[in-house]
Amino acid sequence: MKRKKQKIFNIALAVIMLIMSLFFLFPVIWMLANSFKPDAAITADMNSAMAFVPPAPGKGFFDNYKAILFDTSFIRYMLNTLFYAAIMIVSGIIVNGLAGYALAKIKFPFRDRWLAVIMMLMVIPAETIITINFMFVSKMGLLNTVFGYVLPMIVNPFNIFLFRQVFVSLPDDVWEAAQLDHCNPVKYFFTMVLPMSKTVVATVSVFTFLNVWNDYLWPSLVFTSSNLLTAQIGLNSITSNDNTTMGQTLAVITLITIPVIIIYSLFSKQIVEGVISTGSKEG
Amino acid sequence: MKNKSNSILGMAFFGPALVLMTIFLFIPMILTLIYSFTDYFALNPKLTHFVWFENFSAIFKDDLFTTAFGNTVKFVLIIVPLQTLGALGLALLINRVTVCKRYFKVAFFIPVVMSLAVVSNLWMQIYSPEGILNTMLSNFGVEPQPFIYGASQALPSIAFMSVWQGVGYQMIIFLGGLQAINPALYEAAEMDHASSWSRFKDITLPELKPLCVFVFITVTIGAFRMIVQPMVMTGGGPSHSTYTIVYDIYETGTVNWEIGLASAMAIVFTVFVVILTIIQTVLTKDKEDRHEKKKAKDI
Repeated sequence: MKRKKQKIFNIALAVIMLIMSLFFLFPVIWMLANSFKPDAAITADMNSAMAFVPPAPGKGFFDNYKAILFDTSFIRYMLNTLFYAAIMIVSGIIVNGLAGYALAKIKFPFRDRWLAVIMMLMVIPAETIITINFMFVSKMGLLNTVFGYVLPMIVNPFNIFLFRQVFVSLPDDVWEAAQLDHCNPVKYFFTMVLPMSKTVVATVSVFTFLNVWNDYLWPSLVFTSSNLLTAQIGLNSITSNDNTTMGQTLAVITLITIPVIIIYSLFSKQIVEGVISTGSKEG
Repeated sequence: MKNKSNSILGMAFFGPALVLMTIFLFIPMILTLIYSFTDYFALNPKLTHFVWFENFSAIFKDDLFTTAFGNTVKFVLIIVPLQTLGALGLALLINRVTVCKRYFKVAFFIPVVMSLAVVSNLWMQIYSPEGILNTMLSNFGVEPQPFIYGASQALPSIAFMSVWQGVGYQMIIFLGGLQAINPALYEAAEMDHASSWSRFKDITLPELKPLCVFVFITVTIGAFRMIVQPMVMTGGGPSHSTYTIVYDIYETGTVNWEIGLASAMAIVFTVFVVILTIIQTVLTKDKEDRHEKKKAKDI
């Protein structure tokens, strides 16, 4: 008797939550469904349930997507962003990884003080120094260059700390054996340390990619020339153009989200663990 | 000998990061502090002199900055309770539900995946005067609302959208916390025939408390940093009703080039963020210490 009651409760709860989730997701469902329609159909469907149903596939089904991909610079913006992300991931892993290793394993002067400084830097929000960094970059003549965008973002106190926490638990004897063999320390770092720490390298890469892909404020300051724009900034120049229709706007914001969805579904485990560990580490 | 080679090696490994940190973090921080006491105007740097605390009294007398400050506080006051309680509620429900658990986790997480610019562009369509939201509301006999195009509704509309986007992230954090609670605690409560409310009040909430503090503070800091959504959706308007502190720093510094004033604003902003972080550290540390003591007593 009690178990039956329990079962009914479970199903009722699931049904209520299903309705909640549909209400919650209505903007996303609307976006997907209408990204396949011409504007006339979007307006005509607005006042019926058809607003949430995609049109039957047929002629013109992908028109909005085709217009975005072939009539705007969107593909170029996507490729730009992928290129910046690749540079940022590689340089970030080298710079922050080496620093994290030094803080974890090499006894150099003031090491513990440097670690304390890194932890303090994690508190300062990026917006505090964005004005000065913008001034620096423009005075160095690096506006509208890849260097101007990438250089100030490479070093990341949070990633240094993350690397350090993982490297600390690596065994010392491998390092000592490598030293006896007169192994070049830099070579040792790239051929032994990084391959032994694949998880943290993956986590840092994924989060760096997402940061570059989603970043708005800094690229909007550095890039004004249209062939260098990142996807997010390019998105705004596309949607604020009067010739862009509502359907095309919905198509471009869908397209721009696809790479992120791919990353999330491939690395969902690392990401969720990353999210939870930031919570439990500080909490 | 070994010590010496270690110091060289250490500095060689730490060096690249140190150089970049010095140029792009330490020097800008120190300059922000120094400039906040000057009337530095980047288009005419030769006329700069120290004005000491004049910038700070000037910004608090400035109508635009006080408006921006007030708006930021309003954003915090709307977003923080909705997002924290919303995330906790969703996590409790998903933890409880037995059917389609994975679907619910993904469904409420989807907006997190979308970028600020994407969500802002999407909701500009949703909030538009003849948009889907007004159409749906008209079916319930609600007059068309201006949403982001009206001075009184713009701020709450953007705040609501931010909660919609962010709530899934904190939900995942809470779910992690719920799953980490020792099931033996609930079994013991079951033996005592504790009601589900008292189980929640006496076990779940105390166990989640450090996580609640963490989420509360991170959401507060996040709302305090609000800029991209108003920038994309309203340009800070209508009549500056969605203008925020960071937006003011941005415009004063990078558009008007009044680096002195912008630095003073940045210092005020940073002080608030640092204070919030210190509160979080103190509150959670206190809890951990008591935890440790309690454990020691139990043994």
